[in-house]
Amino acid sequence: MTEPIVTIDDLTHRFGDIVALTNVDLEIPAGVTGLVGANGAGKTTMLRSLLGLVHPTAGSIRVLGHDAATDPISVRSIVGYMPEGNCLPKDQTAADFVGFAAEMAGVPPKDARRRASETLFLVGLEEERFRYLGDFSTGMVQRVKLAQSIVHGPRLVLLDEPASGLDPAGREQMLALIRRLGGFGINVIVSSHVLSDIEETCQWVVMLDRGRLIRSGPLGERIATGTVAVEVLSDPEGFATALIAAGLDAATLGHVVTVGSADDTTFDAVMRVAADTGAGILRMGRAAITLEDEFLRQSQELRS
Amino acid sequence: MSDAVIYDRGYRSYSGDLRGRSATRRAIVRDGVRRILGLRRKARRKILPWALLSIGLLIAAVLVGLLFVFGSLGGAVAEGLPSYPELFDLYSRIALLFLAITIPELLGPDRSQGVLSVYFSRPLTVGDYLGAKAVAYLVMAGGIYLVPQLLFHLGAAALAEEGFLGYLGGNLDVLWKVAAAAAGFILVHGGVLAIISTHIDRTSFAAATFLAVLLAGGNLAGILSQAGFPGSRYASLLALDDHARYVRDWIFDVDLGDYWPERAGFDPWVSLAAIGFVSVFGAVWAYRRYRRLA
Repeated sequence: MTEPIVTIDDLTHRFGDIVALTNVDLEIPAGVTGLVGANGAGKTTMLRSLLGLVHPTAGSIRVLGHDAATDPISVRSIVGYMPEGNCLPKDQTAADFVGFAAEMAGVPPKDARRRASETLFLVGLEEERFRYLGDFSTGMVQRVKLAQSIVHGPRLVLLDEPASGLDPAGREQMLALIRRLGGFGINVIVSSHVLSDIEETCQWVVMLDRGRLIRSGPLGERIATGTVAVEVLSDPEGFATALIAAGLDAATLGHVVTVGSADDTTFDAVMRVAADTGAGILRMGRAAITLEDEFLRQSQELRS
Repeated sequence: MSDAVIYDRGYRSYSGDLRGRSATRRAIVRDGVRRILGLRRKARRKILPWALLSIGLLIAAVLVGLLFVFGSLGGAVAEGLPSYPELFDLYSRIALLFLAITIPELLGPDRSQGVLSVYFSRPLTVGDYLGAKAVAYLVMAGGIYLVPQLLFHLGAAALAEEGFLGYLGGNLDVLWKVAAAAAGFILVHGGVLAIISTHIDRTSFAAATFLAVLLAGGNLAGILSQAGFPGSRYASLLALDDHARYVRDWIFDVDLGDYWPERAGFDPWVSLAAIGFVSVFGAVWAYRRYRRLA
């Protein structure tokens, strides 16, 4: 992994008796990273911690080389943030608000007006930029929120549930915009509880469940489970029983039998049992699961 | 076939200056002034502030006009025009309505519309935010108090028999007295408004609450301070608006009315201290509240 943009060491955050994050150790590389977890998993707390808006109970966070707890102003100078909830004044135009958001980041007023127009063009709101935000649809509001987060040219953008409340077409457009940001070289951390959104947009994924880190790693490949998946023509239960009798660890899931650990001896043993029992094998290989399966499996393990 | 080509303008990262927290504070001050005046907002947001500002300026213009018409005759009408303290009293009533919407308008919408989450994702502290809002308040409050009275003063000087500079030189004390008396009103009202506006989001509700608190405070102070129980005179200090008026009369060395702290036997400096206390208390209250919100 190249130089991480975010380094988190043993981060714990409590709100009174409620533990939002527990002993999180994490490094996030450059690129587009997905922060996945159910509602209440600690995603928003993590994003707010990255901005230095909440101070950790324990541990440390470094964002682009700055300590978020002790030097939050430096962090916020080079980071953009798109909150999940409403954050737009209804009685201002999109151009005025995004321009003001740029000025708030220190951009001179004249440049801020120009940047606002350019950024609203990028998110597809060039025609609507002089309309009042109170008249905008949910999809347009989300785009303005995205525009204000990137108008000052941040090196990292934190997007909190950017596709929340959007219809399928709006969701797809928002995900396409996020992919484009990655293409422009902006580092992005996008939180979502919709795993397919993360799979579509990100190169790296961080999974949280009830404040605990359950996975941090690259996306793009299916996740190997370390087992062998054997798809049989008929009687998978009988085949699994024969495998167990041969000393292997086997279980069935529909027509698929998963077996022990994925090494060469397992493959040989499965072939022998198939030959002995006359079972018809349709397919055999290293088992892999989707991000969703992995998330469910890990969170179940954590809870048990 | 057309030769037209569609270009994707893409994205250019901003490579210019980022001017830091001071620029952020200035941006909030500018936005605050615009917001109070309803600039870059819908037309209905402009009605009240501009109506009150116009009334203030119109009164100054009318008074200068009366001076021009009747003052040159040296008649009794000119002598019947309000004195500086009386004029200040008139403007303080217009300003009261103006101030009632300023701090609520500066603070409430940011909270109710969730804009604080954008503000505090920028290089900005709670102190920067509230400080910039306070500057916007002081600029506009100072404007409504001082600009019309300054225009009247300059108009009166231009028409004075002793000449423009002669009149200004002979009435230099008016400038600091008006500014000092205005500061008393601006600070005590600002303190009360800060407390109210950090809890009530809607501008109209917060403004109505502010006026009700001033009215109720005066009545309560009157009732309690006359109740005759030990220490009842201290209840007169609840008449928050009276403090500013009492100090104004002290500064101008006039007696335009009876005030509860005065009736209870307190000196003007006690009212001055009360003004300072209310303004500092309001600022601290707002800061503590926003530390939790940020």
